[in-house]
Amino acid sequence: MSASLASPRFHRLVLPGALLALVLLTVAAAPLLPLADPVKQQVSERLSTPSLGHLLGQDEYGRDVFSRIIWGGRVSLSVSILAAACAGLIGTLLGLVGGYFRGVVELMSVRLAEVVLCFPPMLLALLVVTLLGPGAVTLVLVLTILFTPGYARVAYAETLSARTLDYVTAQTALGATSARVLFRTVLPNIAPPLLVQFSLTVAAAMMLESGLSFLGLGVVPPSPSWGLMIRSARSVMEQAPLLLLWPCLALAGTVLLLNVVCDRLRDVMDPRGAAMGVIPGFLRRARSAALPQATTEPAPSLVRIDNLTLSLKTPAGPLNVVRGVSFGVAPGETVALVGESGSGKTLTALAVMGLLPPVVTPAGGSIRFSRRDGTVADLLHLPEGQMRRLRGNDLSIIFQDPSASLNPVHRCGKQVAEAIRAHGGGMTGEGSARAAKAKVVALFRRVGLPDPERRAGAFPHELSGGQKQRVMIAAAVANTPRLLIADEPTTALDVTVQAQILDLLADLKGESGSGRGQEGKDTEGKDTTGMGLLFVTHNLAVVRQIADKVVVMYAGEVVEEGPVAEVFARPRHPYTAALLASAPESEAEELTAIPGTVPSPAALPPGCRFAPRCGFATPACDSTPPASIEVAPGRIARCIRWMEVA
Amino acid sequence: MTAHIIPPLNPPLPFPDRAPLLRAEGLTRGFKGRGGLLGRGHEVLALRGVDFALARGEAVGVVGESGCGKSTLARVLLHLTPASAGRVLFDGQDLARLPRRQLRALRRRMQLVFQDPFASLDPRRSIGDQIADGILIHHLAAPAEAQARVADLLAQVGLDPAHAGRLPHEFSGGQRQRIAIARALSTDPDVLVADEPVSALDVSVQAQVVNLLKDLRTRLGLGLIFISHDLHVVRHLCDRVVVMYLGRVVEEAPAAALFAQPRHPYTQALLAATPSMHAAPGARAVLSGEMPSPANPPSGCAFRTRCARAQPACAEALPELLPAGPGRRLACPPALADLAHGAAHA
Repeated sequence: MSASLASPRFHRLVLPGALLALVLLTVAAAPLLPLADPVKQQVSERLSTPSLGHLLGQDEYGRDVFSRIIWGGRVSLSVSILAAACAGLIGTLLGLVGGYFRGVVELMSVRLAEVVLCFPPMLLALLVVTLLGPGAVTLVLVLTILFTPGYARVAYAETLSARTLDYVTAQTALGATSARVLFRTVLPNIAPPLLVQFSLTVAAAMMLESGLSFLGLGVVPPSPSWGLMIRSARSVMEQAPLLLLWPCLALAGTVLLLNVVCDRLRDVMDPRGAAMGVIPGFLRRARSAALPQATTEPAPSLVRIDNLTLSLKTPAGPLNVVRGVSFGVAPGETVALVGESGSGKTLTALAVMGLLPPVVTPAGGSIRFSRRDGTVADLLHLPEGQMRRLRGNDLSIIFQDPSASLNPVHRCGKQVAEAIRAHGGGMTGEGSARAAKAKVVALFRRVGLPDPERRAGAFPHELSGGQKQRVMIAAAVANTPRLLIADEPTTALDVTVQAQILDLLADLKGESGSGRGQEGKDTEGKDTTGMGLLFVTHNLAVVRQIADKVVVMYAGEVVEEGPVAEVFARPRHPYTAALLASAPESEAEELTAIPGTVPSPAALPPGCRFAPRCGFATPACDSTPPASIEVAPGRIARCIRWMEVA
Repeated sequence: MTAHIIPPLNPPLPFPDRAPLLRAEGLTRGFKGRGGLLGRGHEVLALRGVDFALARGEAVGVVGESGCGKSTLARVLLHLTPASAGRVLFDGQDLARLPRRQLRALRRRMQLVFQDPFASLDPRRSIGDQIADGILIHHLAAPAEAQARVADLLAQVGLDPAHAGRLPHEFSGGQRQRIAIARALSTDPDVLVADEPVSALDVSVQAQVVNLLKDLRTRLGLGLIFISHDLHVVRHLCDRVVVMYLGRVVEEAPAAALFAQPRHPYTQALLAATPSMHAAPGARAVLSGEMPSPANPPSGCAFRTRCARAQPACAEALPELLPAGPGRRLACPPALADLAHGAAHA
């Protein structure tokens, strides 16, 4: 509503809006326009083809079709719009009140309106017409009755979900009356689906009006309506097929126009704007494969990300949300990728998995990964088919919310077995199901699920959050991956459970280093066989507990990298130092807060991205972005004053 | 059904000279559980006989893991969710018995800040309008003067008053939480209930909001009920801490004393499990298992299924919340026995 009139969203509304306005104006101005009399018969000229005097020809009584379309539209449109508006008003009110107060009020409003749905619409229409006689007013009444329950149901469902939202509760907490809450807060927020419902209702009402008029229950001849015109054209369809075309065209065109206008209007009303169009995944993969291949560099021991740049598609053009990120994970190493929301840490992790959201595309760099068979692949440019073979096999991932990552309608054991069988897992053909089942139970035991046989047969909702995360971990480690990515795996869990999961991950990593001698190809030293773990988190205390190396990201760039103990003891970037100081663990009276907020990727500071919030900033920091500096072996900082920090 | 679990009513107050402003007695709140196809779902108790008191200007932290009933407690205390049993007295008035109109008027004095700043602001109204709501509802200023008051509130929470006309989506999470706090302050409340106000925020802005709350408390003499699962933040902000487990209070103590010397095994486990940036990684006392379902709580002490000190007696009687030192109460018979034993020796 408050969207600026100059916004591109508003522009999208202009054309269909103007067309609809033209249609409405034309039919409204019918008496003023120099049109032929729509009911004047000229039997001698019946069924004549279009001519200058009669643009769309004449009908079976010689009446002017063009004039009848416009006069007929007057009836059709006014009846359907009036009926849709009445139904909308009554239905919304019923749904709003019923959904907000529930209980008896719901019974008296929504449920009562739903009784109408029990009658066949035609029967109901016949009943009303028999009682009141045909005519435009009766039609409006019939259509209102028919469409009210639909509205009531939509408004009811929307209100039901809106009434528990925090901002509605906040209004109650402020002491607002129910009427104020309903009309100031709930109604504007449930309006978009109602608007769509309106366009559907007008269209349906027009159809039904035509149908009823066609049956002789609506508008009485000779006054024109689109439905009547279709009806009469049908009888002479063989002599003059065009007669059928015109009213049908008018009807379909108006309905279509109305739908477009309502859809666009909904977009304009959404404060955040409409979604962008995207390219399907398999096409994207194919396209990025055309990017130049990386040069020959020494093979990484496990994975090496170089100069990774990811770009986000926005209405204002591409935006680089991750820029020049480089770091590696060695076998058996745990690397923590730390950053706040919007720092690009999750996108970086998803890029390794080849699971970037559709609006984000790689714009440069490489992710070189050494596969189980010893070959090196650039994950950024690997075709989707090969990538799929790696996922869940060499590479696997655990997500933040275990409830959202397990399929609620399949048993947990089956979902993990799926992961094993998708990659052969040495069991195809006879007895594979039983072998998979046994392997699942063994895995469940390994991730510490109590009573693994029973858990394998359980549905996700029967497990607690921590147990679900254990199932996810079991699926992720099922094929002994070389690299496990954990994207905030404990953020959704309680602290006591978080401690358990962190211990489990540490255990699994320990096991993978020693117990994988049978792998054969890469057993030169024990370090090369261990599972690498890339742990994405925003929690520094967790990093301290689990990681060997930490990579700190800020606004899409790596600002510091180094061994955990060293970075925590002596941070070399002011952001890292400030993060450590702002944690509420310190005994200080006042917490050291970092002033300001993380910059949006659309409005990055020209120099160092952290300079506006930095206590060490000098004028030099604002001019050019600082380069990464190797401040000590294995330690990198992106700050020109690194020597003075901490 | 709850008569037997209501302990005597004299919650200790760290400010004995001040009468409690908000007081709750034997709060119980049940939710309808989901039944099978035919059977009726039985009631799940989110709160099971909680006593609570807040003095004027006091800051009380309520901590516990998800499912312990702390958010339900926040809503029941504000009478946004009515209690199934027990009562809430605000300044001596029973909220459940107040007529609608008077309850609405009383809401001016107690406000709520939500966890998720992305859900707690109406996406379609300017932040200025939303902050002005409280002022206009309670006629605290003429509509013409409300704008000036909004500007003042925005300045108080550290935002630019010129941004009053913007929509919520134009602000970051931390800024939105400040807006939500400004909205809560608009009615000039005596008590602010903050339900996990910083857990959805970025680490670098969490400290900003914690400092803001702390500052507002001292400046406005605001009573604060701070609900959180983050013990570090609670320690920083609160005078007194209440630890909850499965709908009941298990320990209650002045903040400093609780962190220095946690007495309930659950409080001890909670403190041990919280990862620390200063401690080197190593062996921590990790609590096994998870909180039992509130639909089917263990008999006796609810924590006994995960407790290292559990004894057969723990399964039989519901532990009472009993005095355990100055301003402290504890619901753990073995720990209380230790305490008595220690005192006898001293």
